[in-house]
Formats: sequence, structure tokens, C-alpha cells
Amino acid sequence: MAISLRPENPGAWAQHEFADLFAVDRQEREALQLEAVKLRFANLRDKVPALRKLADKQGIERIDTLDDVLVIAFDHRVLKNYPLAILEERDFPKLTAWLDKLTAHDLSRVDLSGVQTVDQWIDRLEQYGLIIGTSSGTTGKLSFVARSREELPAWRSAWLLMNYASSGIDPRTTKLPSFSPSYRSGHQMALKTAKLFVYDVHGGPQNHHTLYDAHMSADLLALSGKMQAAEEKGDVARLGLDPVLVEQRRQMIETARHRDRDVQAWFEKLIHEFKGQQVRIGGLSAELFKVAKAGAEKGYKCEFAPGSIVTTGGGMKKYKDAPDNWQEIIAAFFGVEKLSSVYGFSESIGHCPMCSHGYYHFLPYTVAMVLDADGQALPREGVQTGRMAIFDLLAESYWGAFISGDEVTMHFDEDCGCGWRGPRIGTAIRRYAEMEGGDDKITCSGSAKAYDEFMDFVMGDG
Amino acid sequence: MADVIDVPILSRGRVIMPSEGDSVLFGGRANESVFRGPDPRNHIDDLLLGSARKLADLQKIPIDEIIDLLAELGPRLSRHTNPYMGRAFELALQVGGLTETVLADVYDQLPNMFNRRKLDQTIDKNVGKAYLDGWVEKGAPGRSRIRVRAVGTRQLHITAGNVPVVAASTVIRAALTKSDCLIKSPSNDPLTANAIVRTLIELAPDHPVTRHLAVAYWKGGDDIVEQQVLRPTRIDKITAWGGMASMQHIQKHLVPGLDLIALNPKFSISILGKEALESEAAMLEAAGGLAMNVGHLNQTACASTRIAYVECGTDDASIARLIAFGEMVYDQIQALPANLSTPARVPDRELQAELDAIESEDDFYWLKADTIAGGVIVSRYKGKVDFSDHLNNRIVNLVPVADLEDVLDFCGDHTQSVPVYPESLRAELRDTLAISGVQRVLPMAPYRGENWWDDVQAHTGLPHDGIEPDRRMVRWVTDESVASS
Repeated sequence: MAISLRPENPGAWAQHEFADLFAVDRQEREALQLEAVKLRFANLRDKVPALRKLADKQGIERIDTLDDVLVIAFDHRVLKNYPLAILEERDFPKLTAWLDKLTAHDLSRVDLSGVQTVDQWIDRLEQYGLIIGTSSGTTGKLSFVARSREELPAWRSAWLLMNYASSGIDPRTTKLPSFSPSYRSGHQMALKTAKLFVYDVHGGPQNHHTLYDAHMSADLLALSGKMQAAEEKGDVARLGLDPVLVEQRRQMIETARHRDRDVQAWFEKLIHEFKGQQVRIGGLSAELFKVAKAGAEKGYKCEFAPGSIVTTGGGMKKYKDAPDNWQEIIAAFFGVEKLSSVYGFSESIGHCPMCSHGYYHFLPYTVAMVLDADGQALPREGVQTGRMAIFDLLAESYWGAFISGDEVTMHFDEDCGCGWRGPRIGTAIRRYAEMEGGDDKITCSGSAKAYDEFMDFVMGDG
Repeated sequence: MADVIDVPILSRGRVIMPSEGDSVLFGGRANESVFRGPDPRNHIDDLLLGSARKLADLQKIPIDEIIDLLAELGPRLSRHTNPYMGRAFELALQVGGLTETVLADVYDQLPNMFNRRKLDQTIDKNVGKAYLDGWVEKGAPGRSRIRVRAVGTRQLHITAGNVPVVAASTVIRAALTKSDCLIKSPSNDPLTANAIVRTLIELAPDHPVTRHLAVAYWKGGDDIVEQQVLRPTRIDKITAWGGMASMQHIQKHLVPGLDLIALNPKFSISILGKEALESEAAMLEAAGGLAMNVGHLNQTACASTRIAYVECGTDDASIARLIAFGEMVYDQIQALPANLSTPARVPDRELQAELDAIESEDDFYWLKADTIAGGVIVSRYKGKVDFSDHLNNRIVNLVPVADLEDVLDFCGDHTQSVPVYPESLRAELRDTLAISGVQRVLPMAPYRGENWWDDVQAHTGLPHDGIEPDRRMVRWVTDESVASS
């Protein structure tokens, strides 16, 4: 091994250059990962209450193989297994007690006096030392990922490294004006990360241009499902919510109505103002595609300097009849050679940059595992399709073993033409939650959700 | 690959087998049989009646003659003696969601659905035999004399396959309303309707009832087929059972003139008053009744309870009582007779993952359940579990509520059946439940032995899902003349 990595401190691995990390020999890496997982388990087993409970139940006292971790990995649902009524009732002591089980920090000493909103609650926890990111997944219920200042240095390094590896531009030396058609701040993980590292990646907030200068309310995200249901009944007033929140929601819906137009106008202005400069543009694939299509139709041409970056994510699922070459269309419009792409989820610090051959590669500090339908580990060899699970070695104050809701195809053999080692996944990634149904089996029993979809369809909105 | 089973299109007395150059395969997921049918795209004309005038022959048949025919058909539908039914049973077992003992019991009830007395009462109560056989005088209120008649229509039934009873009741409804009927089979019960109609073809190939029944499978959403079929010039009424996947595409074909009778997916709940926790005897009685409503047909039906709201505090003593009740419900579910309810054949992975995820949260939930045995989740805190939509395999969520009035907020058109305990509470709640959207209020009766199916049968002829389907399926026509004539 050309670099020295110690299992005692995986956070420091992210200080290395990505090229060196991708060069680590497989056997050495897996031995190192196993050792690091063993140490992490020994350290956290009795300090994270939810882990202790699960390990007790499964009778796990030690880890012998990487796959041993699976029986004590947290399913993605664990990060949101609080009753929704807690949020509806604004019962922050209960919510804190719930979160306390997911972190090694002692949250019983957090001063919650005066906390009335989710935003305030997160702020209070962050003053205490935690860093909370939320994720809404596919079910609409908010997950809370409880990181802390302990993770921050490695998180920062991993973030910069991933940016560099996916785009070829090193943010440590090149701070680009950057654009994201999103909110200025918020606790949602992507917004949180952008804000946390705004100096590191962008050189400061003045260099980071967002579509809206507003804060995205965690309260709105947390209660959106409930509010939607109440609104459908014409019953929002009965929820007894803060009028400020109801007004925020109304504004958000209003804003969303002319979002396409706003995005286009915003980009047109940027295209003009930053002509000739090297820039970094990020956004959802479908949105950037719409911008590119509308811009091209109007005859606009982007003339950014060479070395500009366009990062996309989110796929084109929501965009009907997208052409197969949508990536080329976006790249051509913005005048970049290729799109930068990254795979990851809010629950993991390490993300996977896409290589020149179109695969997402795992860095050594994220242990990749694939599960079959029974939740058993698939062999760590060849090509395996199944549920993505990881052990995030950068998680120091909470348990990093995590079972995702994604189906991936993993290549364990390290034969990618790009030259990077490490297991890698292809771009065909599906969410299990979205794969349910659609099999033509008809039943008279149904869920409220199915019912609502049904009515949408009957009413012509489906 | 598993064996390939030929499923013919049945077209108004004719059996059209798949053949070289005219076949499509369907089904065939993991370890399931593959079906081969004629390509429905080649047989649009066989699926459809054509002009409504062709219904005339059926209108001329007295309803009693139709009842006679159905009553003669019933006894021939035993899976033990009828190879078509035997095959349909085997396949429903393989690709449907019910276990063998439960499905066997359901199939064994099918012949009895064709009981002459029941058919007679049902149609006479719902539509009125006289209206089907001729013009019924309604008097001369003003200067006109008025007569009313119920006339058969051209129907498409997109049937549900979770319980094969649906196939039988579809054939019965079509025949008793003197209607032409195209049945689109579901992939989770591909053969039951086919087997019933095929038996009818052998019994009475030229009878007008037989001549007005067609059964086919096509993949729901097949535009080529559905564009051809779903036209108001060809079909008058669509009866569509739940299942988004197969129906999503129908919507765009809906135009005035095509009447959609939507039997939506349903989600049923139970309500228990504080009396249920007041004594051991009451707890046992209520637990038995709840277990029955959760467990019958292995919780696959629209009437199956998935959430039970219990009038109960959330203090430690109250929750301890509720958990003790939960233990009883668990035991009662396990004790249900095998012909009504059994443990699941296979675990439900997604649901099991949900259960695992809340198991660690014992501040909020008490859990005694897995997706094979079924069981109980007690919410210690306000509110149902987030995944209540997915509750299945005989798992019920007991939710404490301080005020039962709050439950009304959770009721709507999606709430089909609401068993209530005790009886005094049912009487008290029924009006508000009805106003809130609930379609059926019933006592929380435990399993009472062998007469259970008779109780179910007694329900034939009652409104279903808040409507009276038989009355919707016919066309009500008035005939007016000057009063003197």
C-alpha cells in the first residue's frame, strides 16, 4: 500500500488523495475495513442505545466478518421510527429522547426550553454539538440523521474529495462561482452540506448563488404529508398549526407554481452575467434538462470558460418522454464535456463519484454490501444485484451500518476500465418502494394511499 | 420454466384456444405457472357484443328461467368433481394470496352462491323481477300513465382476484341483470371466471345467458385492446374493482356514456369502546371478535380490519391493560380455525422490515407479531403506525384514543367495514360513522362455528361499498303514455 491507513481512525483516510485511496489493494482494504468495523462496534456497542438493543437481541458481542454487521445494521426506517404524532404535537422532549437512542452523545442534557418548532429544535441540538440532517425519502416522513462535530473534519474532507473525483476540479485550489436552483439554507441534508462547506467548496456564500434566498422550513417538510391530507379535506384550520407555518406553506406552493419560469429566468441571467467564467452548476436532472431545452429553443448559448462543471442527480423519472440522450443535451447546452455525477444517500457521509466509464465507485471508508431478498449478504464477488447496504466508517458518534431502500447492481471484481479500484455500481438504481405494485394483481382490499391514487386517477389527475 | 397452461378466450358460447401465431404468454413470475391465451388483440370482435340491439334475446327470457339455469350450474362448480374448477383452485392457490385451507373453504362455498332461493331473493330485492321481465305500471299521477322497466346493459367487469367469490358473483350479477358481460380476469385469479363460464357452456351452450358471457385476459393498460373495448358505442357500464395497476389506463377512455361503477380498494377498521377493557370476560369476547375481523380470509379482503381504535388512556396502567388485551387478540388470531384463517405461507419482507424497525422503539410500541403468524402492535403513543397501509398477514394495530369521536376523522369513503364493540356503542356511533363515509357497521362477533358462511351469504343482496351495484348495472327506462290509454 502506497499510503498508510490505520483502522483506529478511518476519518483520517479521507485526508488522502482520491487517486491513492482508489489504488489501495482489495485484500488490504477489506482487512483494514474489517478491523475498523470491529473497533467501531466495540466502541459504540453500548454507547448507542438502539445499537445496544439490537445487538442484545441478536446476541452479537463481536464482529468476525464484514457480513456479520448485517444483522445489526439499521434499516433506513430506523431513522424515522418515531410516531408522527410526536411531531404533530410538538412533543420535543419525546422527540429528543427518541433521537438520543441513535447517538452516542447524551441528549438528556440538551436544554429544550422555549423550543416550539422543528427548526428551533434542530438549532438547539446543533448548539449542543450535533449536526442534524433530514431526509424525506419516498414515504414523506422525515428521517433525522444525527451527526455531530466529531464527524465534521472527515465529512468535510470526504465532501471535497468526492467533488474533486467526480468533476476533475479540485475545490481546495479552485473556488468556482456556483449555482444551484434551490434554497439558501435548510436542514435537509443537501442544503445542510452545501451550507456547511460553502467556504470550502465555493469560497463563501457570496460565491454560491441559489434560486431562492430563503430557508427551507423543516417544520413544513415534517408535516407536509399531514397538511396535504388535511387540505384535501379542506380541514387545515383544524390542525391547529402555527399560522406562520400555514402561510409559509401557501407561499411555497405559490412559488412552486412558477418554479419552471423562475428557474429559466434565473439561469438566463447567470448565463449572461457569468459568460466567459469558469462555473459550477448543480441541479436535478429533469430541471437542468428543461432549462437546456428551453434555452436551446430560444437560441441561447452558454459560453462559460473551459473547466466548468455541471453536476446532476435525481434521474429523469418525473420527466415524461425524456430523450435517451438527455445528458448530452444538457452538457451541450451548458458547454461542458460531460456531466459530473455522484451516488449516495443522506444517511451516508461518503458518496460515490462516477468514473470515466460511467460507474459509481466506493471509497475505502464506505464498506459496500449487497443483500438478497432474504436480507442475506450476497457473495463479495462478480456482479451482484440486490439491496444496497453500507458501513459508513466516517460515522463516529452514531452507528454507521445502514440498509438502504435502493436496488443496485454491484461489481465486486475490480476490473473497471477507468483504473479506479473499489467495488462499483452501475447507473441502473431503483428504489424498492417504487417497485411495489404494477403487477396486474387486483384486490378489493386497499390502503388509504392506493385509494387516493385511485381517486386521482378517476378524477383525471393520476 | 414452469409448465405452460392454456387459457382460452370464452366468447359467447365459443371456446377459443390459443394456437400457433395466435398466442400471448402471461404470468410466470418466480415459480409461478405461465399462461398462454389467444392474443386478445386478434379477438376484439369476440370480446364485444356489438350493437345493443343484440341484447333483445336475453330480455325475452323470463328471470325465473335464468335463475333456473344458474341454480343448475351451481352444483356443477364443485372443485372436487369439476376439473375446470379443480384447475382454477390449484392456480389460484399458486398465484393468489390465500393459503390452502382458507382457499379450499372459499371454493367449497361457491356452489352455494348459486342457491335458487338466494338468487331469487337477491334479484327481487335489488332490482325487482317484475322490472326485469316487463314494464311495471307506476300509475297515472298527472295526465300521463307511467311504466318503468329495468333493461340489461353491455358490461365490462374488471374483476378482483384476491377472493374467487368475485368471479362467481360477477357471473351471477351479469346473468341476473340480463346483461351482456365481458369479464377481464385478474392475473392473481386467472381461471375461476373462465372455469365457471366454461362449465356453463357445456351445460347450456345455446342459452342466451351463455351467449352473453365472454371471459378474457389481457394485460391491464393494453391500449390496443382497451381503446377498442372502452367505447360508449360498445360498452355501457364498467365495473372496476380495486387495483391501480390494471386500471390506470382506463381513465383516459372514460367519456360521457361510459358509466364507471368503481369498487375501490378499501381499508377497514374496528372500534372498541372502553367496555372492552373493563373485565376479563369482556376482553376475551372483544378479542375473539377482533381476531375474527382481522384474520378471516387472512386479512386479504376489503372488510379486513387493519387498525383497531380502542377507547383507552395512554397512562402506564391503561397501556398495560391494552397490552394485556393485545396478548389476548394475538392468542385468538392463532386460534382461528384453519378454514377461515391460517399463518401466512411466506413472510412479507417489507412489512417485516417495518416491524423490525419499530421493535427497538419500546417507548412507543409494544409488538407481538411477525409476518407468518400475524399478531398485534400496540401504539403506546397517540396514533397508528406509519405503515398501517401495509398491514397484512393478520397483523392489527391497536391504537388508544381518548375520545372515539376522533376516529371519525380517519373514516372516509375508503372505510368499508367497521365492527364495533360493544353493541350499545355500535348503535350510538352508526349514524356518525355512516355520515363520515363508512359503508358497513357491524357487531364485533367472534367466530360462531359452522354457520359463519351462512352469515356472509346473508349479506348477498345488501348494498356493497355504499352503492347498489345491481341497480346500477341495469338501465332504468320509463315509458309514458297519455293517461287515458
